[in-house]
Formats: sequence, C-alpha cells, structure tokens
Amino acid sequence: MSIAVSIENLSFTYTGKETPALKNIQAQVEDGSLVCIMGHGGAGKSSLCYTLNALIPKFFRGVYQGRVLVKGKEAAGSTVAGLSRQVGLVFQDFESQLFSTNVELEMAFGPENHGFPRPDIERRIKRYLGAVHLDHLRGRQPATLSGGQKQRLAIGSVLTLEPDILVLDEPTTDLDPLGAEEVLVIARKLREEGRTLVMVAPEPEMVVDADQIWLMREGELVSRGSPEEILKDFSRLSSSGIKPPALMELFQNMGWPGQPMTVTEAMALIDRNDWVQKRDTPTPGTSLRSGDPFILQTEELEYCYPLQEVKALRGINWNVREGEFVALLGQNGSGKTTLAKHCNGLLKPTGGRMLVRGKPTAAFSHKDLAQEVGYVFQNPDHQIFAKTVEEEISFGPKVLGMDPKTIRERMAEALEVVELQGYEKQLPFTLTKGERQRVAVASVLAVQPQVIILDEPTTGLDYLHQRSMMDLLRRLNQKGHTIIIITHSMWVAAEYAHRTVVLKEGAIILDGPTRQVFAQESILAGASLAPPPLVQISNRLGLQALTLEQMVQELKE
Amino acid sequence: MNIFLYLDENTLIHRLDPRTKLVSAVILFGICLCFNHPLYLAFISGGVVLTALWARALPNFWRLRYILLLLILFSFVLWPFFVPGPTRWWAWGPFQVSRESVLYGLAMGLRLATFVGIGLIFLSTTRNEELTNGLIRMGVPYPLAFALSTALRLVPTFAGAGATIIQAQVSRGLDLESGSIFKRMGKFIPQAVPLFIYAIHHTNTLAMALESKGFDPQAKRTFYYEPRMQRVDYWVIGFFILLLTALLYLRLGMGLGVVIRGRL
Repeated sequence: MSIAVSIENLSFTYTGKETPALKNIQAQVEDGSLVCIMGHGGAGKSSLCYTLNALIPKFFRGVYQGRVLVKGKEAAGSTVAGLSRQVGLVFQDFESQLFSTNVELEMAFGPENHGFPRPDIERRIKRYLGAVHLDHLRGRQPATLSGGQKQRLAIGSVLTLEPDILVLDEPTTDLDPLGAEEVLVIARKLREEGRTLVMVAPEPEMVVDADQIWLMREGELVSRGSPEEILKDFSRLSSSGIKPPALMELFQNMGWPGQPMTVTEAMALIDRNDWVQKRDTPTPGTSLRSGDPFILQTEELEYCYPLQEVKALRGINWNVREGEFVALLGQNGSGKTTLAKHCNGLLKPTGGRMLVRGKPTAAFSHKDLAQEVGYVFQNPDHQIFAKTVEEEISFGPKVLGMDPKTIRERMAEALEVVELQGYEKQLPFTLTKGERQRVAVASVLAVQPQVIILDEPTTGLDYLHQRSMMDLLRRLNQKGHTIIIITHSMWVAAEYAHRTVVLKEGAIILDGPTRQVFAQESILAGASLAPPPLVQISNRLGLQALTLEQMVQELKE
Repeated sequence: MNIFLYLDENTLIHRLDPRTKLVSAVILFGICLCFNHPLYLAFISGGVVLTALWARALPNFWRLRYILLLLILFSFVLWPFFVPGPTRWWAWGPFQVSRESVLYGLAMGLRLATFVGIGLIFLSTTRNEELTNGLIRMGVPYPLAFALSTALRLVPTFAGAGATIIQAQVSRGLDLESGSIFKRMGKFIPQAVPLFIYAIHHTNTLAMALESKGFDPQAKRTFYYEPRMQRVDYWVIGFFILLLTALLYLRLGMGLGVVIRGRL
C-alpha cells in the first residue's frame, strides 16, 4: 500500500493564540483507506483537516512546524487552489459552501476554475451527480434542496475535480437522521470505489467500518488504531468528549464477552448464548403527568407559510402541562420548528388556535408572552450581541422593564444555573460553542419563563457538553420549568424526555411517554426514525429500560 | 421559500444572450425617458407587461405588486405639487396643482414602475452566472464581475439570517413595534451585531470553499454556460435601437408625448 498522506511532526498555532491548535502530529493515511478523526470540541480536528489542503498555513496564518506530504509532495509548498485536484475538502456548514444558482453549475465550478474543456466538464458533472444520487435534480436551485441533498451536492461539487483524497469535516452534524444516512451511504460507496477518505466523525456509530481512528485531545493525536482497539477504551473516549458505543458498554457492564457495534450483532450474540430470558410483558411505560394545569394548548392548529401551497401544520391538537419535559422528533420539514414557534407567538396560526394559559397567543403582547414562553434558537450566535456576558444575559429583563436590582438578581441566578459564575465580564464571542450555548440559555432563563423551548440544544456540541447541557435542562425541569426540546438526537430524547412527540408532514403521528413511543419501531420507521440502539435491544428483550443504567439494573434483577 | 427572482423557464427571452438582455434593458430605460405623457408611457408599460407575459415573469410582478403599486401611487400623489403647469386647478401658498402636473405625476409613476418591471424581467430570465458571464464578455474584469454576482447571491442568504436573528431577539422580549425613532435605533444593535458576525463567518467559510475548489480570480477558466450571440440576438438589439431612434424622433423632432416641456 502506498501512502496518500504523511503527517510528520506537525504543530500549528493560530496567529494571536497562545496555545497550539495542533501539537506534534505524526500519522499516515494509506491509499484507499478510511480514516476517521474523533475528539472533543476544540481538539484540533478541523485544523488537522485544513492542513491537508493547505488552508493551513495559506488561508489561516500562524506558526507552522513539521510537514504534511500529500502523495509525496509538501502541502504547504502549494496553494490551496493548486492542491484542489489532490485533496477535496467538504465543510460541516453546507449552507455557506454552495453558492451557484443551480445544481449543474455548482458541480461545474471546480472544473471551470481549472479551465477544463466543456465536454470534459459535462462528463464530470454527469458521472458525479450520479455518484451522489442527485441526477434528477440537475436544474434545481441549491437553496431549495433538503439538508442531506445540499451536503451531497457539496460532496459532488468537490468530487468533480477527481481528488485523490476526500476530506469530510463533520459532514452529518447539521443534518436530520435521514439526511445524515444519505451522506453516510455516499461515503461508504466512495470508499468501496477505492477512494481515500478522511472524515471527522462525532459519533462512534459512524466509524465502525473505518480502517483507522485517530483520537485527538487538545491538539494532540492521543491514539491511533482500528475501531475495535479505540472504541473499547470507554474512559479514554469519554475524556475525549465522545459518547462510548452504547452496545459495547452494555456488554462490558454485563460482563458478556464480545464487542457488538450493531443491534443485529448484539442480538445474535445474546440469542446464541442465551444470556437473557426474554420477557413477554408488554411495555406499559410510565404514564404522562396529570393534574397540573395545561400551559400550552393547540386546537386544530394549522399553519401555511406565505407563498407556499403545502400546509406546514395540519390540524394539530396537542396539550402540554406545566412541568413536563417533552422532546419533539421528526425530519426537517416535518413541522417541529413551526409548531414550537407558535408556542411563543413567533408564528400566528393560519387556522385553529394556539393557547398559552388558556389565552390565544395573538392576545398577548410580545413582552408578556416572552415571560411565559422562552425560546432558545439553535445557533447561539444568532442572538449574542453584547460586549459582556453580563450585558447579554440582562438584555431580556432590561427590555422587559425590570428594575436594576431585580435585573442583577435574575442575572446572578441565571448564571448560577448554567454554571457560568465568574464569566460576567467576559466577551461572549471568545467563549467556546458550549459556553455560548449556555449564555443563550441563561439569557432566556433570566426572563424566568415557565416554558423553555430549545431548538437542537445539543447539535454541534461534543458528548461531554451535550451531557452537561441536558443535565442543566433536567435541573430546570426539576425546579418546575416546562422544557420542550426539538432534537435529532435519539439518545437525548430517550434519556431525558418524559414525553416524546413525533411529527411527520405537519401532523403528530406519535405522542406519549417516551418509553411507549420508542416501542413503536415500525411507526417511527415510517418517519425515517429509529430508537437508539440500546432501546432497540430493550424492545427486543421486552425490557423497560431507556438508559444503560436502567438496563443493567433490570437485567441483573 | 424561494428567495431568488430567477424563474427557470425556457422562453425565447431566457435563451437570449445575457449581453443582449443587458443592452436591451439599458435601451428600454432610455425609451422610458423619451416621454412624459402618461398615455405614451402607458403604451411602453403595456409593452413591458406583454414582454413579461412572454417571458413568463408575471409571477414575480405579482410577488412585488405592492411595491409596483406604491411606486405609481407615490409619484402620482407627490409629483403634482412640485411641477408647475399652465392649467391651474388648485393653489395654496407656494403649492399648486395643475392638469399637466397631475398627468406628469401619473407618467412618472408609470415610468418608475416600468423601470422596476424591466429589471424584474431581466432578473427573472437571467441566471446570476449568466449575468457575470455577460459582464465579463463586455469587458468587466472577472474578479469584479464575480464579486458583483456573489453580492447578489448573498442578499437572500443574509436576509434569511436576519429574519432568524430578529425572531431570536423578539423571543427575548425585544419589542420592535413601539418606541420613538431613537429608541428604535437602539434596538437595531441586537439585530445588527449578530448579523455582522454571521456575515463574517459565512463569507469566511465561502472563501475557504471557493479556494478549496481551485478558485483563482487571475487564472484562465472555462465557462460551462457559454453565451453565444445568435442571429436572434442581433435582431433584438437592432429592433430596440430602431425603436429608440423612432421614439426619439417623435419626441425631439415632432414634439409628441410631452405634457410638460423642458423636462425628461
């Protein structure tokens, strides 16, 4: 096997930063292999990707030591554009890498830059549109595609340059489960064709068929090895901000030999060895909260976006009681966000009613409604504007006209809940993504709304930050707040939400206690969703468990 | 939601070379300036609407109907006060309204709406890339043409982000609908700062993506859509030049189509 990429003693420090982003990296990528890079937020994964096509040090300046050889040639000795035929790079943020007015032209852009003759460009477009399964959308505007299609187009537009090495930097993070699967299917196919792939992957489930995993921590490459070697070391995974593979964790906790990566493998092992007596008890599940007053109610709620024919919500009847913890699941475009935006009056029904404490949202002023229902947007950067964390968090109470003393109290309380005491004078933009997310939550919390809605609170965070965000929400729920999360992360819903609601095409198709909802695998599959692997095992064994601890306990009873 | 004006149809106007469309639009702007009599302008506006019908661009006219109507209405209401005419109908101090000034106001309204209409037809039938391409072939340097088309392309993106940012701030209690003008100015900051940061972030990623796909403004490149001037393009340009000449003769040679002399 020849070597596609060789990284030799590479270190890099961004200009203006004190700590290096990459420290003494030493590694090789073999031709035709799949290398997955894992690590916590800020571990240097993206930076490492950028060195492969010379974005570091050509686009990002800093102190660069060591060298990266791509097909034997030093990357830093070439320009980014010059390397584009050897190394193709696809970014996590698919929105900002697409800019043409139709799919065909997006695909043509790379070859156009290199001055290839038109018939050759035509051939490349045809070949790689097929490779990313977008042939039928050749004339469409990229803006009208789904997330998964956009990311596939981004991959296709890089493939048209026929690079030897394809680098994918978290290609699935911003996608719904369906879109993520579409992208992974393409990645697998490219690999079968013998292309060299380097992929930054946040979840262990994505890396099972990798040839090598590189585990990064604070700029260093802490270990390299096969998935079996790397994934079995749970403590090292956790400390690197990665969720240990649930099934392997279960087997280890139960003392069962074997390292299953998929539900099928795990069930085969369990069945073959007769480790568990299957239970026939139908899943009764926990019952929903009752007795507390309704805080949110919808009556035949309908919504149609301006200039669109299809209704985004079709007659929703849905009630939420005070103190519930609800997860809204569904693919993008299923109506989750549209429904959630009705709860705080950002959208007004085009049919039916949306009630908060029994009163239509239209009868509230924005100020009053903001004190009942808070909404934390997915991207904290869409709301952070102030020079200090303090000013950011006190913005809500201030515009609502509270007196300075109350504002100070509210701010202190909010900071305490999100565990950011001592950050008052810091510039919010310099914080990490996880911390900015907390600032955003605190700034909504300072208004003390009864209901807090969070759109994708865990997206883009590593496992440790996801955990701490969700633990924070659990504490808020225990203090009496109603929590509603919109999420694509099934384990988050399974472990934290008492109630789960599944939407499809603007209608609710499942609504009930989380355990019961996750027992309906075929209905979930109809919405292209699946319970987390552990819960699938739970379903097959007739157990109640939603989490690892519960399952171990139940099995040991 | 579709945020672009381009409508993917296959009409003769769509197939014209972008240069033809640019030149024709400029000549049409000139034609609108030939007359200030509403009847004459109405004919021109009618012609533009028929062209829009032909180009299947009417959906965009419908989308922007309020803007078009407002343009006509404002001109019609405001112009008469500022242009004196001989047949006086009403006067109050320095203000006076005459028959000619009312007609002039109507003409100006039609003219403005027709300007917008011409632009709409152009944008409904010409892709961003074709515009860039046309500009380059007319001698505009590639980096400049590319910057222009990217700017056009980014407007809807930033508008979308702006809408999300406003929603995020309204959710925290920001009230955009009340307060004096100064108070409203203060409310601008929570919207502007995140948008600014977003724009920087977005363009930064875009720049990385462009370079990663081999973009080099100085290098020679292929254009996948090769615009080619065909016979019909020359006919169209010839037709508009003739039309402009004829109309200029009507106005300048015969003095037709004028309600107020000495004005465009």
